[in-house]
Amino acid sequence: MSSGQFQTRQIGNVRVHVCPSTKFKTTMLVAMFQQELSTKYVTKTALLSNILLRGTEQYPTMLDLKKKQNDLYGAGLFGDVFKRGEKQVLHFGVDIANEQYLHDASPLLEEAVGLLCEVITKPALEQDIFMKSYVEAEKRNLKQEIESLVDEKIQYAAQRSIEAMCKNEPYAIFINGRVEDIPAIQADSLYTYYQELLYHCPLDLYCVGDVDIQKVVSLFEKYLPSEMFTSERKQLDLSQTTQSVQQVKTVVERLPVNQGKLNMGCRTHVTIQDSDYPALLMYNGILGGFPHSKLFMNVREKASLAYYASSRLESHKGIMHIQSGIEIQNFEKAVTIIKEQIEVMRQGQISDQELAQTKATLSNQFREQQDRAYEIVQSHYHSVLSGTNRPLEQILQEIEQVSKEDVQKVAQKIQLDTIYFLRDQGGEADEKN
Amino acid sequence: MKKIEYKQLKETLYHETLPNGLDVYVLPKQGFAKTYATFTTKYGSIDNTFQVPGKEKVHVPDGIAHFLEHKMFEQESGEDVFQSFSRQGASANAFTSFTRTSYLFSCTDQVENNLTTLLNYVQSPYFTDENVEKEKGIIGQEIRMYDDNADWRVYFGLIEALYQNHPVKIDIAGTVESIAKITKETLYTCYNTFYHPSNMLLFVIGAVDPQRIFQLVTENQAQKKFEPQGEIQRFFDKEPDVVAEKRKEMRLSVNAPKCYFGFKEAPIAVGVSGDEMLKMELTTQLFMESLVGSSSELYQSLYDEGLIDDSFGHDYSIEQGYGFTMMGGDTRKPDELVARIEELFPQKVKKGISAEEFELVKKKKIGSVLRSLNSVEWIANQFTSYRFHDSDLFQMIPTLESITLEDVNSRMREHIDFARFAVSTVRPLEQLTKPTV
Repeated sequence: MSSGQFQTRQIGNVRVHVCPSTKFKTTMLVAMFQQELSTKYVTKTALLSNILLRGTEQYPTMLDLKKKQNDLYGAGLFGDVFKRGEKQVLHFGVDIANEQYLHDASPLLEEAVGLLCEVITKPALEQDIFMKSYVEAEKRNLKQEIESLVDEKIQYAAQRSIEAMCKNEPYAIFINGRVEDIPAIQADSLYTYYQELLYHCPLDLYCVGDVDIQKVVSLFEKYLPSEMFTSERKQLDLSQTTQSVQQVKTVVERLPVNQGKLNMGCRTHVTIQDSDYPALLMYNGILGGFPHSKLFMNVREKASLAYYASSRLESHKGIMHIQSGIEIQNFEKAVTIIKEQIEVMRQGQISDQELAQTKATLSNQFREQQDRAYEIVQSHYHSVLSGTNRPLEQILQEIEQVSKEDVQKVAQKIQLDTIYFLRDQGGEADEKN
Repeated sequence: MKKIEYKQLKETLYHETLPNGLDVYVLPKQGFAKTYATFTTKYGSIDNTFQVPGKEKVHVPDGIAHFLEHKMFEQESGEDVFQSFSRQGASANAFTSFTRTSYLFSCTDQVENNLTTLLNYVQSPYFTDENVEKEKGIIGQEIRMYDDNADWRVYFGLIEALYQNHPVKIDIAGTVESIAKITKETLYTCYNTFYHPSNMLLFVIGAVDPQRIFQLVTENQAQKKFEPQGEIQRFFDKEPDVVAEKRKEMRLSVNAPKCYFGFKEAPIAVGVSGDEMLKMELTTQLFMESLVGSSSELYQSLYDEGLIDDSFGHDYSIEQGYGFTMMGGDTRKPDELVARIEELFPQKVKKGISAEEFELVKKKKIGSVLRSLNSVEWIANQFTSYRFHDSDLFQMIPTLESITLEDVNSRMREHIDFARFAVSTVRPLEQLTKPTV
C-alpha cells in the first residue's frame, strides 16, 4: 500500500519532495515559498499570488494562459497564500491528467513542470518590471477580497477573534494583507520584492503521482533557473508561543446579522514540535473535534443551542479556536456550557469511551489524508515548517499511547484567552435572558 | 454479482439488485486507505406531494426531508449513532439535496462493522415527540446560519426568481415556521414512503473485497422484512415557461454586491432521462464553458472591464422536471454586468462557438472528469445521482468524446432565451453600518 512516502532530494538550497503513487489519475505539482508573517510583506506576498497567474512571458494574457491549460486537458493551475503559525506561505500548483488514462498519449508531466516553472519564474513583464495594468487591476481585486471578508460571517468572526486575542503578535495579521498597504505598491517595487522572495525565501517543491523521482528532479532542474538552486535562502524563525494569559478578554462586535457567532480562543502552550503534541490532538478531539465530542454533545445535542459547536487547533502557534453559531440571547448560556467543558477536562473527567472514540477517529483522519494528493503535500509540509518529522506510522502509534492522564496534563496547560461575540445591532434589553 | 469493466479508466464496478429491491454497487479502489459508503434514498426537498398505491395523497411541510435526515441519527437505545461510528473510527455524515437524501461514512478500519451500522440505523427510525421538538432548535440555528450566508442567499434567490411553481424554489431546510409544523407522524409517513429499499441505492467504494461486501449486505437485508411497495407517484404543479421574477433584489450586511443570473430550461426540455439526459447535461456544460468559462473571450473582457473577478463561475443543474444554468460571483457593478451579458450573449449565440474553442473546452472537461475520479466521495455521490436518472457516470468520457460542435451550438441556441432569464442580486445595506466594537 502506498502511504504517502516522500523521497526528498536536496538540490542546492531547494528541497524536492516526490511521492510516487499509482492511485491518482492526475499528477500534482506544488511549489511552496515561506515568508515571515509580517506587515512588511503580507500584502505584497498576497498580491503576488494573483499577479503571477495573470500572464507569463510565453502566455502573456490570462486568456493565453487559460487556453494553454485547456490544451493540457484542463491542467488545474492554482496560486494562493495561507498561514502556518507566524509564517505566510505563498504556493503555486498544477494538477494535470496522467496521459495513460487518455486516448491521445502525449506525455504531460514535462508540460506541467514547464508550465508551473513558467508561472513562477517568468511573469509577463514590460520594461523589465511587472505590467502596470495587471498590478493595478489586481490591487483593486485584492482590496475587494480583503474588504469582502465581512461577507463570510463565520470566517470574519474567526479572524476578528484572532485579532483581538493576538493583538500585538504577527499571528493576528490577516493572510490576504491590509487595505492600507495597497496604494503604495507599484509595479517596480513589487517586482523587486518578487525577486527577493523567489531567490531568498525557503522553497520546497512537491510532486505526487505516478512518476519517477529522478525524472521529476531533472525536469525541475531543466525548467528553473540555476540561480534558484544556488542562491542563499534565509532561515525563518518559529512562531512565538510563550504568551501567557493575564486576564480573559471579552470582545463584542455588532453588525446587522441574524445569528450570533461565538468564538473562544485558547492558548494551549503546546505545538507540533512538542512531545505532548499527540496528547494535545487528543485533547482537542475529545473537546470539540468530532460529533462525539463534548462541545457537540453538550452545546448542540443536549442544550439544542447550535447547529455547529467545535474546536480546532493551529498547531504551529499552539492556539485552539472554539466556534459556534447561536441565537443572540443565548450568548451567556453557551459560554457557560463551553467553559464547563474546558473545566471538566481540566479535572480529568474523560470517559474510556471518549478516549477510545477519539483515538479511533483521529487515527482515521490521519490515514484518510493519504488518499488526497493535496493533503499528502500539506501534511508533509507541516513537518518541513516545524522541523519535526512524524511519519504516519509514528503519529498513529503516539496517538494510540496517549493516556487519560496525558490528556489531563495538557488540559491543565490550556488557558482561555479571548471570548469574541459577533452579534446584531439590537438593543441591550434582550441581552440578558 | 454483475461485473462491469471500464478499461480506459482502469475501474471495475460490481452490481447486484437484492430481492427487496435495493441496488448495491461496489467499486474497489486499489491503493486507497479509506472506504467510503453512501446509502441514498431518491427523496429530496422537492418531493413534498406524493402518493403510494392504496394510500392517500399527502402534502408535507417544507423542509421535512432534511428534518428527517437529522432525525435518523437518533436511535431507540437513546444513543446518537455518531457515537457508534466514532467507536469504530468512522467519520459519518448525511446530506439532503433537492432530489436525494444520503447517509454516509468514511473509514480506514472496521469497514464491515461500519457498513452494518449504516444499514441498520437508516433502516430503524426512532422518532418521538420529544426528540422531534429538540431538533427544531438545532435546525433553527442551521437556517439562521444560512440566512447570514450571502452566497447561499444569492444562489437561492435566483432559483426563486426562475421558478413560479416547482418546489425546487423551496429552501431545502424549510423555514423556522414550516419546520414548527413537523410531527413524528408526518416523519413516519415520509420515512415509510421513501426509505423502502426499492427506492434506495447503496454505494461502497475503496479498500474493499466486493464479494465480502455483497455477502454482508445480502445477509443483513435478508433479516429485515419490507412489505412490497408500488411505485411512488410524485406530484408537481405545472411550471410555466416564463420566470417568476426577472430581477430579485436583496440587501445584506456585505461589502461587495453579489450577482447571479441564469436561464431556466423550457419545461418541455426537462422530461428526458438516461443517456439523453447525460448528453444534454454535458453539452450544456461545454457550451457554458465556451461562452463564459475562464478561457472565454467574454470572461476575459468582463474581467478586464473590472465587472467580474475570479469568484465568477458557472454551473448547470438538471433533474427530471427542472433545470437551469447559473453564472455569477462578486461584482462591483451588478447592473453593468447584467447589461453587458444581455448585449454579449445574443452576439455570441449568433456567431456560434468555433471549432478551436470547442476542442479546448472538451479537453478541459475530460481532464476535469479524470481529476474528479481521484475522489471516492465524488464517484459515490455522482454515480448515485446519475443512476437515479437511469444514466451512468462512467459514460461521461465516452459521451463527451461523442459530442459535436453542432450539438453544442444548437444546445446554446436552444437554452439562451431571455424570456427564461432572471437575475438575483445581493447588495450592501443602504446605510453602511461600520462595525462597532
